[in-house]
Amino acid sequence: MGAPLSDDVVLLVPDAIDVNGLMAHVRADEDGAIVTFDGFVRNESHGRRTLYLDYEAYESMAVAKMQEIAAQLREKYAIHRVAIAHRLGRLEIGETSVFIAVSAPHRAAAFDACRYAIDTLKRTVPIWKKEYFEDGAVWADGELPPIPGTTPAATPTAKPAS
Amino acid sequence: MAPTAQTIRVKVLFFGRLKDVAGLAEESCEVADGATIESLFAELAKRNGELARFRPSLVASRNQEFAAWNTPLRAHDEVAFLPPVSGG
Repeated sequence: MGAPLSDDVVLLVPDAIDVNGLMAHVRADEDGAIVTFDGFVRNESHGRRTLYLDYEAYESMAVAKMQEIAAQLREKYAIHRVAIAHRLGRLEIGETSVFIAVSAPHRAAAFDACRYAIDTLKRTVPIWKKEYFEDGAVWADGELPPIPGTTPAATPTAKPAS
Repeated sequence: MAPTAQTIRVKVLFFGRLKDVAGLAEESCEVADGATIESLFAELAKRNGELARFRPSLVASRNQEFAAWNTPLRAHDEVAFLPPVSGG
């Protein structure tokens, strides 16, 4: 509903995400609510003190998958505009790694859409996070994206223990 | 003029921990005409045994779309092997 899809913003950025700019972008007079998700770097992981994170992406596919998420939000929810930005490279503690803003005439659709967007992003967008600790670095455990059209037998349904 | 091709060339990308294991981010591979993503991975794993260990915890993509392992390859396809994703 509302604005055409081209009004959505999907970004991979090497520097700080312009949170205020994205909120301003989705905000319009016909809206009554904006729900945002601000994901930022925590100072610990499983009890180990995190020094910093490094994110990398399969950039062309990641942008395509984020655009798909924006399109899905429009199909599923009565929203107005969507902005999704993910930062890549080295991020320090407290810096925003992912930011999502959804505007809508009414709050329920904006809440639901924002939740769907971050959950789907974490499961399907090809981005990887390396965690740096005082005693080394590890690639974070992640989620295996579902492969459309495969038989269950050919699709691993559980992550191997690691 | 074009003879029946016996092999095709595809671009292969590695990401995350798999890039560390493969020792590179990108390569060009020649595979038999009729090869699938699975058989391409098997060829790569033959060269680098470490890779085989990761097969159960990977998904593959072909031309920026998640793809089943039995997907046939075409010349100039871009195939990527993707460890579990951890963005956000």
